[in-house]
Amino acid sequence: MLGYLLRKLLHSLLLILGVTLVSFALMVYFGPDQTYKLLGKSASTEHIQEIRQQLGYDRPFIRRYGEYLGDLFTLQLGASNSNGEAVSDILKRTLPVTLALLVPGFILGNVLGVALGLLAAWHRNRWIDRIISSASIAGMSTSFLIIIIVLQVVLCTPYGLNLFPARGWQVTGLASYLNYVTVPSLSLVLITLGYNTRFFRAIFLEESGREHIRAARAFGASPAQLMGRHVLKNSLPPLLTRVLFSIPLVIVSGSLLLETYFGIPGMGKITFDAITNGDQPVLKAVVGLTAIMFVMVQALAGMSYRLIDPRVS
Amino acid sequence: MDGAPVNLDPAQASDLYTKFLVVNLYDTLYRYKYLARPYELEPNLAEDLPQVSPDGLLYTFRIKPGVRFIDDEAFPDGNGRLLQAEDFVYSIKRHFDPATRAQGAWLWQGRIVGLDEWKANGAHYDEEISGLRAVDDRTIQIQLIAPFPQLTHTLAQGFAAIVPREAVDYYGREFAIHPVGSGPFRLSRFDSAGASLLRNEDFRAEPFSLQEEGYNPITQGAFGLESLEGKILPLVDRVDIEFIAEDAARWTTFNAGQLDFIKVPVSQFDQVLKNRNPPQLVDELAGRYHLLTSLESGFVYTVFNMDDSRIGYHPDPDQAVRNRALRCAIIKAFDWKRRNEIFYSGLGKVFPGVIPPLTPEYDPGQDRNSVTRDVADAVSLLNNFGWNPENLPTLEYGLPSSVTERQMFEQFRSFMSAVGYPQEKIRPLTFATYGDYARAYINREVMLITSAWTMDYPDAENTVQLFFGPNATPGTNTANYNNAEFNRLYRASSSMQASPLRTAVFHKMNRIVIDDCVAISGISRTLVMLWNRNVAMLPDREFVGGYFFRFVGVTDTTDREH
Repeated sequence: MLGYLLRKLLHSLLLILGVTLVSFALMVYFGPDQTYKLLGKSASTEHIQEIRQQLGYDRPFIRRYGEYLGDLFTLQLGASNSNGEAVSDILKRTLPVTLALLVPGFILGNVLGVALGLLAAWHRNRWIDRIISSASIAGMSTSFLIIIIVLQVVLCTPYGLNLFPARGWQVTGLASYLNYVTVPSLSLVLITLGYNTRFFRAIFLEESGREHIRAARAFGASPAQLMGRHVLKNSLPPLLTRVLFSIPLVIVSGSLLLETYFGIPGMGKITFDAITNGDQPVLKAVVGLTAIMFVMVQALAGMSYRLIDPRVS
Repeated sequence: MDGAPVNLDPAQASDLYTKFLVVNLYDTLYRYKYLARPYELEPNLAEDLPQVSPDGLLYTFRIKPGVRFIDDEAFPDGNGRLLQAEDFVYSIKRHFDPATRAQGAWLWQGRIVGLDEWKANGAHYDEEISGLRAVDDRTIQIQLIAPFPQLTHTLAQGFAAIVPREAVDYYGREFAIHPVGSGPFRLSRFDSAGASLLRNEDFRAEPFSLQEEGYNPITQGAFGLESLEGKILPLVDRVDIEFIAEDAARWTTFNAGQLDFIKVPVSQFDQVLKNRNPPQLVDELAGRYHLLTSLESGFVYTVFNMDDSRIGYHPDPDQAVRNRALRCAIIKAFDWKRRNEIFYSGLGKVFPGVIPPLTPEYDPGQDRNSVTRDVADAVSLLNNFGWNPENLPTLEYGLPSSVTERQMFEQFRSFMSAVGYPQEKIRPLTFATYGDYARAYINREVMLITSAWTMDYPDAENTVQLFFGPNATPGTNTANYNNAEFNRLYRASSSMQASPLRTAVFHKMNRIVIDDCVAISGISRTLVMLWNRNVAMLPDREFVGGYFFRFVGVTDTTDREH
């Protein structure tokens, strides 16, 4: 196990170096140039030079990349170029909000996806499967934006049920949390459920067709035993892979629409603003930490495979 | 608000949204009267309008007594101290300190004796500037290099807001998110989704006077403002501002009853308005909301990059004449009526040249040929000057990436098709962000540049300077236009006080720009604003801008659900 972990660690470090190098090069050479955002209405050549110097754009790439790596590993993330706020403070402020926003919908979306996938797989090609599959395709085909707006209109306005706020995040306790998180969570569930169900159904179908499942069925195993003990358990590696690998993506990009449309001050919006404004300190931190998160998730997935299936080496 | 500020440092208050907040958190010497139209300057922190020497070079300002900064840990004992004339001097100096990354220096650059030299000498704050000084605790003097009649207007900008040095030193770069001012409100929340302002309990007790603010009972009588007469400003304890850039989200939130006020998205005009002329709300909204349609102060326009020899200046005089004919043909082929109908719901105001309708110098009777489509004339110009589909240059039309911008480009291309301009010779140059687009046109890499100019003060000088030769990019003259006669007139007008004579000079300059076919210009957009009937106010996004928050009154709070 130790050898396995060391191999994973080395592999992870190389991966982090690769990801950060590519993303930093993209930021520097293709990302927005914040100089022109900070110029104001009327500028002079001298003013442009001053700002470029302050932003460090005039320094060699390798030096900047080296400093970036150093900052990342020491967690000295600097300050936003847009308003001077320490990047670590920005993350401390926004990451908990994003997690609180996404966790319920993320869990519910995956649990429901597994349940519906199992149900559809068990009833393969029968009407239950057809209904679930058709609904999944309908869900996948519907624009995220439409789902959010329809839920807002139905649940948050006087034209509908008017049960929840359409916008905001004034969370002071459990009641206010539920008040603000319900509609975004429902939106996230509806956005992800179609994809999850289709994916999980395919895994379960593949597993259901295996010899040992047929044998168990012949020995008289109940549907619950078959799907729970045999199909679900043996499908765990690909299932975990999908769930774990979607965490960083959901946190960084998945929350953007929800935060934007529900007025929630989380990390997705901050990242989007940093991209459009070319705020490199914020962007570098988010990209670097996301890369680290991906690598950690990968290591976690690898270890969990070993726990689930001892044949994995 | 339909956008979000990221920074509340007055030195960086270049966009509308930042200005809205800054002028509520800080004081400026002047502001614009809340209700007077045309807009009029009004003393804010200043006691009165400035005393100006006969030669127009020396301005003396007195500030009101007893004005305090809010309590903040930046001050030695946490108690806000008295605001003094020296704070104003410090605040203007900051614009010339490179470390501030200020964006407002252009307002005073080359205008105030010793200020540019102060920067050149290293921007040491303890070093005095002869043209910018605090005579005593309440008196400020500004000595100009040459007359600058717009000086007082510049002191009504967010850039001119007064900050205490202790707070800047204490918070460092985070001063941008820790405002410490003396305005009518203090900040209680600020994040990417919104901001909350709380009444500054120490704000000077000034009563609301309809007469002093320029109230017009005929045009403003329906807004319930009379009930607020004599009340102490600010009129509400708290203002919550939601930053909602997405039209659909803003509209849904308004419909949910979570907003008292909204600038209606153009996409909703048909749902909101029963009639356009005069604008009238549909019946189901009329009982619940006040409606105001208001013309923006600025305008949208497209300029030709005159530095590009394919369409602008050319060393060969004959080719230069042909290029002018080509530009004029493009202008004649442009259909402002369609542009207005499709993208501005027909509510925009199209005007010839570069002096928009909201400026005092606007001439409503001027010749409208430059904004009237004439396909036959455009074709004839092209033919007469030897242009044909083979030798027409490829037009490179710059745009930041967005659906609307792309649609505008396609419409432009269709207008040009009508005069025989081959579609494949009109290419979009798309940029991922506005910053990238700005970089390209500042570096003179874009042939046709479409942008919007938001006016800083109600004076046509603020728009004609867009074509003054020495202001070429990286300055505001994105057309890189350079006409000797225009430049001469601009220089002559720059020291003239507002007068019929100066207006005539501006009209001449406007004519020169039109005759040289430098710009496809322009349109001022109409804003449609709705607000709850229980809120007594006259919202403004132009020169009064965020200053109107202090005058907002709520007459009934019973139907507020959220």
